[in-house]
Amino acid sequence: MIKLENVSLVFQGGSVALSNISTEIKEGDFVYLIGHSGSGKSSFLKLLYRDMYPTKGIIDVVDMEVSSLPKWKIPVLRRKLGIVTQEPQLLEDRTTFENISFALEVLGYDAAEIDAKTSTLIDLVELQDNAYKFPYQLSGGEQTRVAIARALASNPLVLLCDEPTGNLDPDLSIQIVSLLEKINRAGTTILMATHDSSIVNRRKKRVLELSDGKLIRDESEGTYV
Amino acid sequence: MNKLSYVIKNTFINMRRNPLLVVATVLAVLVSSFLVFTTLSGRAVVENNTSRWQNGVHVVIFLDDRVTTTAHKQLQESLESYPEVRMVDYFTKDEAAEEFKILFKDQPELVQEVDFDILPSSLRVNLNNPSDYTLIIERMEGNPAVKEIRASGEAIERLLSLTNTLVLAATVFAILIAFAAFILIINTLRLTAFAKRKEIKVMKLIGASSTYIRLPFMFEAIFESLLGTSIAVGLGWGLIQYSKDSVVAESIFDITISDTYLINLTLGLILTSIIFGFFASYVGIRKALNE
Repeated sequence: MIKLENVSLVFQGGSVALSNISTEIKEGDFVYLIGHSGSGKSSFLKLLYRDMYPTKGIIDVVDMEVSSLPKWKIPVLRRKLGIVTQEPQLLEDRTTFENISFALEVLGYDAAEIDAKTSTLIDLVELQDNAYKFPYQLSGGEQTRVAIARALASNPLVLLCDEPTGNLDPDLSIQIVSLLEKINRAGTTILMATHDSSIVNRRKKRVLELSDGKLIRDESEGTYV
Repeated sequence: MNKLSYVIKNTFINMRRNPLLVVATVLAVLVSSFLVFTTLSGRAVVENNTSRWQNGVHVVIFLDDRVTTTAHKQLQESLESYPEVRMVDYFTKDEAAEEFKILFKDQPELVQEVDFDILPSSLRVNLNNPSDYTLIIERMEGNPAVKEIRASGEAIERLLSLTNTLVLAATVFAILIAFAAFILIINTLRLTAFAKRKEIKVMKLIGASSTYIRLPFMFEAIFESLLGTSIAVGLGWGLIQYSKDSVVAESIFDITISDTYLINLTLGLILTSIIFGFFASYVGIRKALNE
């Protein structure tokens, strides 16, 4: 599903974000990408959805060679991925329902499909009571749920989450991870960047640890050391 | 279909965000298009008129009445033998008097006052090439049968030169205003794109193509450009219609301009405004898409 071979990312000016990373994530996996702030987690994820371009190496995501992907094919890649960022990036002037339906509208669904699919996604993230609330009326956890529902609009094969619990308290973080586990059980591969040890240690899943841009650990049932 | 409705809906949402800038843009396009339309139409009118004059009499040779009519006839024959000359008409004193009465029919006092005897007979020369009038003047100067020579070519040349200068000045002015309109459109789109930066970012994350994100902005620019041009063209047609019935048209110019010319000019301006809007949107949104 995701494969990196000797991938490096060096910024202009020479600072190394990632150095010689090689790893593989299989279909249906749930993987934590851990490391301290500045270790390269976000850069790792951005390379996967081609927000950044590797200096060296080959990246293969959902059978597309991302490292040599022409610019016009980036939207095709992103429609196969769901992307959740630390900031939920919700549109402030739209309700929960509208934020989710917006994604479906952009993806070209027709009106009837949009209504049905939005309702399904709202049920999935358990926001039925908040469907017509605006982002400022939602808690941080609820906003993250909306962002997850929106990321699932395209039925992605892989969900890339960049510290989705970064701004949440432990209880809300656990709720979000439980939701992601539910989505993973339905077949979606999940790669979640986090530096929250309590989440990682709660259920032992595969862990990729980055330090100063290097992959220093890959354990199938790892914890936050 | 759903995508089209999204594009149209967002085009108008975008425009509602900066109504004053939209009005300024439409006005700038309007002024620029109106200048181009009226300038080109005006030039066509002048060309039509001068072309008519150029087909008429080019040189008038007033004859000395003290010289015999035989000498006048010899001069006419001599002129007719020149290869540059198409035709020569002998205009008698009586005919000159009749022409004067027609030209000044609105001023009966003047007609009554004038002693028609002072009006000379003349030879009216039509040339194959109106610009050869100087050759005729050179050959006729010093001829004892000639009292005075007047050439319309000089006046036509001066009028055409003036028209060309005016057309050039108006074109430069129109280009400057068009450039201002171009910058206004870019600025309007950039402000809209800035206001919608989060929406654009989300769309890119979801997998919307650049073209899809760009379309509402492109529609907005083309709409503003088309609206300005359409109003300008409408005003231009109205102005021509009004001028046809005006005093100027009756006294000096015949405001005739072919419908085909006006339709082509209109279509050309509308096509240009679409291309103009397209390029302005391309430049205006490029930065937001690359961020």
